[in-house]
Amino acid sequence: MTRSAPRASRDAPHVLIVGGGGTGGALAHDLTLRGIRVTLVERGEFTSGTTGRHHGLLHSGARYAVNDRESAIECIEENAILRAICPGSFEENDGLFVALTDEDLEYYADFVEGCKACGIPIEELTPQEALGMEPLLNPELKAAVRVPDATMDAMRMPLRFFATAKHGGATLYNFMEVLDLVVEGGAVTGATVRDQVTGSEGDLHADLVVNATGPWSEKIARMAGVDVPISPSPGVMLALYGRLCNMVINRMHRSGDGDIVVPQRALSVVGTSSWTVEDPDELDVPEDHVTRMRTEGAKLIPAVAQAGFRAAWSAARPLIGAMDADSGRELSRTFKTIDHADDGVEGFVTITGGKATTLRGMAELCGDVISRKLGVDRPSTTRTVTTLPHTAFYAETERRLA
Amino acid sequence: MSEAGHPNGSSPPTRTFRVYRYKRGDPGWRFDGFEVPVGARATVLEALRWIQLHRDRTLALRHSCLHASCGTCGMQVNGREVLACVTPADTLGSTITVEPLANIPVLTDLVVDMRQLFERLPDEIGTVRTSDALPQASPPDGIETYERFEDCIECGLCLSACPVSATSDAYVGPAALAAAQRLLEEPRGVDPERILDWAQDPNGAWQCHAAFECTEACPSNVRPAERIMALRGALAGGRRTVATVMPG
Amino acid sequence: MSGQELPGTERRDDDGPVLRKGVGIPASGWFDPRGRALGGFAFAVNRVTGLGLVVYLYLHLAVLSMLLRGESAWSGFLRLATNWLFLSLDVLLIFGILYHGLNGIRVALVGSGVVPDRQKALWWALGVIGTITLAFSALHIYGSR
Repeated sequence: MTRSAPRASRDAPHVLIVGGGGTGGALAHDLTLRGIRVTLVERGEFTSGTTGRHHGLLHSGARYAVNDRESAIECIEENAILRAICPGSFEENDGLFVALTDEDLEYYADFVEGCKACGIPIEELTPQEALGMEPLLNPELKAAVRVPDATMDAMRMPLRFFATAKHGGATLYNFMEVLDLVVEGGAVTGATVRDQVTGSEGDLHADLVVNATGPWSEKIARMAGVDVPISPSPGVMLALYGRLCNMVINRMHRSGDGDIVVPQRALSVVGTSSWTVEDPDELDVPEDHVTRMRTEGAKLIPAVAQAGFRAAWSAARPLIGAMDADSGRELSRTFKTIDHADDGVEGFVTITGGKATTLRGMAELCGDVISRKLGVDRPSTTRTVTTLPHTAFYAETERRLA
Repeated sequence: MSEAGHPNGSSPPTRTFRVYRYKRGDPGWRFDGFEVPVGARATVLEALRWIQLHRDRTLALRHSCLHASCGTCGMQVNGREVLACVTPADTLGSTITVEPLANIPVLTDLVVDMRQLFERLPDEIGTVRTSDALPQASPPDGIETYERFEDCIECGLCLSACPVSATSDAYVGPAALAAAQRLLEEPRGVDPERILDWAQDPNGAWQCHAAFECTEACPSNVRPAERIMALRGALAGGRRTVATVMPG
Repeated sequence: MSGQELPGTERRDDDGPVLRKGVGIPASGWFDPRGRALGGFAFAVNRVTGLGLVVYLYLHLAVLSMLLRGESAWSGFLRLATNWLFLSLDVLLIFGILYHGLNGIRVALVGSGVVPDRQKALWWALGVIGTITLAFSALHIYGSR
């Protein structure tokens, strides 16, 4: 495993990344390794958008093995890479897909076949074996399949990318809000920002601006006069006291509400639901969704019904697709890099869609597009560079690897 | 909660929030007052984000996971250290005072400079430990024991609550000492002598005065005070492990 | 830093204000009762009684030094010492000694790792012992008039 690249030279091209979620952080890391100068601005704390809020599943891809094979393959590849480049950032206990009803069993054959076709290593289990691994499972389960899921710390794992980029020389600003993009002669040349720490405002200039704002992509894109087909699609999650399982527990069926229980430290997180909104800043936490998490989660693990309440919250997925999709579930979970030169605006690229598990892969592909545009002939090396521990983000000196 | 009001047509009652404000370069700090609609399940963090969205976009605050796992939203609410994301706002009275954590330099508004916490942690800090849940379970083939993240979420509530930290910036603090004790309980290849050497510094384990405010404030069941006492027991020649009590 | 710096952001590296509990004087932090629980309260009272006992020690030595000035000075002091107010101060002194001593035992047991997780139970148990002892002492002291 190699360490970070030397700092970028003053003549290197400069990229401004708008958005400090997992995607922005991974991209900052990827570009810094290629010797490109990076400034990143995030309006709040890093990962305070969608990234920090998800239940922490490191996807095996099995959930998408039947309906969305492109996503499934992306997931299983990134799953292995992340475990290698972020050691210590996962609870590596694998996961189970559990069939509870005859209807679930009808899905079984397709599920197993889909996993095999996507290269997801699985192990078919008897109910007895599954209960041995997870004693609190619904004892009426009919079948179970073991998958290489894991739990990640939703904030700390991406923070490692920020830490590594920072130590590699990237300039990362949290609490800096983009008020507008600077557009001159059909090209985006920078952004007008406000520093929330000092109150000062000013312009930052760059050779290229990247929109990595997730469900807020549309809002930023409009500042450049272009559109991106993003539907903010929130879902509710419920955190309960008690570590009711050690493995990630999934319901074996096509996607539905409340079909996953993810253990996190001494809590269990039940998720999730899905609807679409216009404004990702106005997210309700509908009470009936919270109740549904309880009832659906209790089908997988009966103890969910009585477990103490810790928190209920919503997070907005950035789904690619038209705004008129009703529930958000039909839209693909894959990701996209959009070069707005195709829309007549130079110097502006949007990277969006995707999921927490694919942050590094998204950054690699977007980094390739950006490098080509800027005439930088260096490939991505993020597959093999071990990231610094998340504590390195705050420490003054470079710390030892975990 | 939206500006438009409660779903059934009426607006939820409002509470007065007094929020600490400070920007770098200001001569000093001040309190801003806001009237905020607070519904039945609303948390302090939701109320603060409502202020940010609808009243003052320059209000800076930290948050990420919204479920007491990331540790970023620590602050003082009516004088008590809490994580804002799991603190109900409707049981705090009609006036709610919100300030940043104590004993750590303020960056801006409700954001403190977390380097102060991270720089005190021992270098060998572990992130993953053996899972103590469901001991009767047998892990699948290829997994020797189940593991889980360490309890400490690096939120800094303990540092803010500690009366010794209130008077001494040299004291290494509860989070760091608890992390050291965890390394004695589960070494994972770390030499215990190094940890004991680190901990017996005058500004280490012996500076604690058993006020137990850190354990009181900790939202993640780390029990730093008990762990510091166990660490002192280890320094005095004994060896103790503090059992983790699962909250419920 | 490889990227671009925004003018004004260098103030991010300045010293910032630090909130401390208390009333502005550094040591007052640990007296501040706001947001405190049992352990912090016990700690604060321990410090107050500690300071009180040091003051008492000085007074005690000053009083004893009256013996050097002969019998009439000492008799004068004894008349003062049977005054009702003075006896009440004696009861307060007993409280200080009992609290500081018993809490000291609690801190020793907890702080050396012998019983690290029983600090609240110990406080109440020793508090009962202390209260009973104080009651008996007070009865004896007032009863001696």
